[in-house]
Amino acid sequence: MPTAARTYWLTTSCRIRRKDQSLLIERDHGEHVRIPITDVRDLIACKPVDVNTSVISLLNQHHINVHLLGYYGDYTGSLTAADTATSGETVIAQVALATDPERAMPIARDIVRATAFNVRRIIDRTLLKAPYTVLKNNTEDAPDAASLMGIEGNFRRSAWEVLDTKLPDWLQLHGRSRRPPKNAGNAFISYVNGIVYARTVTALRLTPLHTGIAFLHSTMERQRHSLALDMAEMFKPMFSERLLLRMASRNQLKPHHFDVDSNQAMLSDTGRKLVVAAVRDEFATTVNHRELKRPVAYDELLYLEALKVTRACLEGDTYKPFRIWW
Amino acid sequence: MISEQDVGGVHIKYLYHCPRQLWLFARGFRPEATSATVQLGEAVHDTSYRRAHPVDLGSARLDDLDGNLWVHETKSSSRPSPADEAQAIHYCYRLRLVGVDTQGAILRYPKTRRTQRMPYEPDWDERARTDIANVRTTVAQPLSPPRPARTRCRGCSYFDYCWSQ
Ligand code: SF4
Repeated sequence: MPTAARTYWLTTSCRIRRKDQSLLIERDHGEHVRIPITDVRDLIACKPVDVNTSVISLLNQHHINVHLLGYYGDYTGSLTAADTATSGETVIAQVALATDPERAMPIARDIVRATAFNVRRIIDRTLLKAPYTVLKNNTEDAPDAASLMGIEGNFRRSAWEVLDTKLPDWLQLHGRSRRPPKNAGNAFISYVNGIVYARTVTALRLTPLHTGIAFLHSTMERQRHSLALDMAEMFKPMFSERLLLRMASRNQLKPHHFDVDSNQAMLSDTGRKLVVAAVRDEFATTVNHRELKRPVAYDELLYLEALKVTRACLEGDTYKPFRIWW
Repeated sequence: MISEQDVGGVHIKYLYHCPRQLWLFARGFRPEATSATVQLGEAVHDTSYRRAHPVDLGSARLDDLDGNLWVHETKSSSRPSPADEAQAIHYCYRLRLVGVDTQGAILRYPKTRRTQRMPYEPDWDERARTDIANVRTTVAQPLSPPRPARTRCRGCSYFDYCWSQ
């Protein structure tokens, strides 16, 4: 992942215009900001934005994606630059791997296990020991991806119960709800998950892989980028659950950061800015990489993971899904 | 998989530097051209050589061919390498194939202000043909070539791909 370029977050409604080789971000209230195009890796639009064709063509030239988050903070889609990285040879290998159950199932199983490993690592090692063992055993002879996802669902339910015990009443999830999230805790998780997913799409699009051909999630299903769903899975707890726990315990989240009514909740404007800032800082946090022998930022881990999948497809390497190692 | 005409300067360079790099490149996988090294290479080209006459031979693209038929290449590394030489020989061969009687090549290393003159030698055509054949066999291998010692990988844009687990 390039070091010069980074993710820009648009947290208020704005218009993007083109000024030579720069993007000019115009807000109704507030100063205009000029960003040289070479500084941009991708844009995440948390609020509605206006763009025109000259902006699109500039973004396109520089292979920059704009990810759009919807009203509830869930991922609604992307303006993706023309696909130049995908290589036919790699995609053929990817299809061969994903459609051969003998080879694809172990990968799907490992993704589920790595995800559970990471959830347990973030939420509570002791309390989730038993459910994690159950998951490991049950995944052993799960016949297909659908049953793997069922097993993961059971584990997740235990995890959310444990998570609730560590949260103040008003932030508890009481089970996961999406579209719309039913309460503040769910609104938070949905929002951060959406961002992680969007960033995963960007990471994948830097590789020669096809984002629609997956191992665990059905290929080309629903949101199309099924491979990004597979990959984001392992990283979501590291950002969503972890930040929720941290911000709750530090008392950084307040009821006014959410707009809540009887059966739905979403982040308020100030809440969204707070959360975006927290996620952005978290993405920039670095950890020492054991093999590369240099510090890598958390969001770079997404790209490195995408490279691992590429290697599995192209060279038949065993793919070891991401587990938090520190 | 790859025809003789499709073999270009980059293939030759990678063949010498790391066969694995060549194998990956030929499969259409181009890691982001964002490493500082690549950017430096472009900057060196942009700034150090203004009145150049680039020549496009399809897959091979040379920086400059002067009036006396010398091929000029500007390099961002500080020292000549076998890969640089092989690349120059390849360009001369390709030019001779289309009827340009090159006198040889001049490699420039602005970083260290070195210049390497390589007058044409009769065995070059043979060397160039061998390199092309080697590129084609390397690329055709079903399995990827192993990684060389890690010290060779410095600055390679495939580094993260090859070395992270
Ligand atoms: S990183 Fe090393 S092994 Fe990989 S392609 Fe580059 S030089 Fe070859």
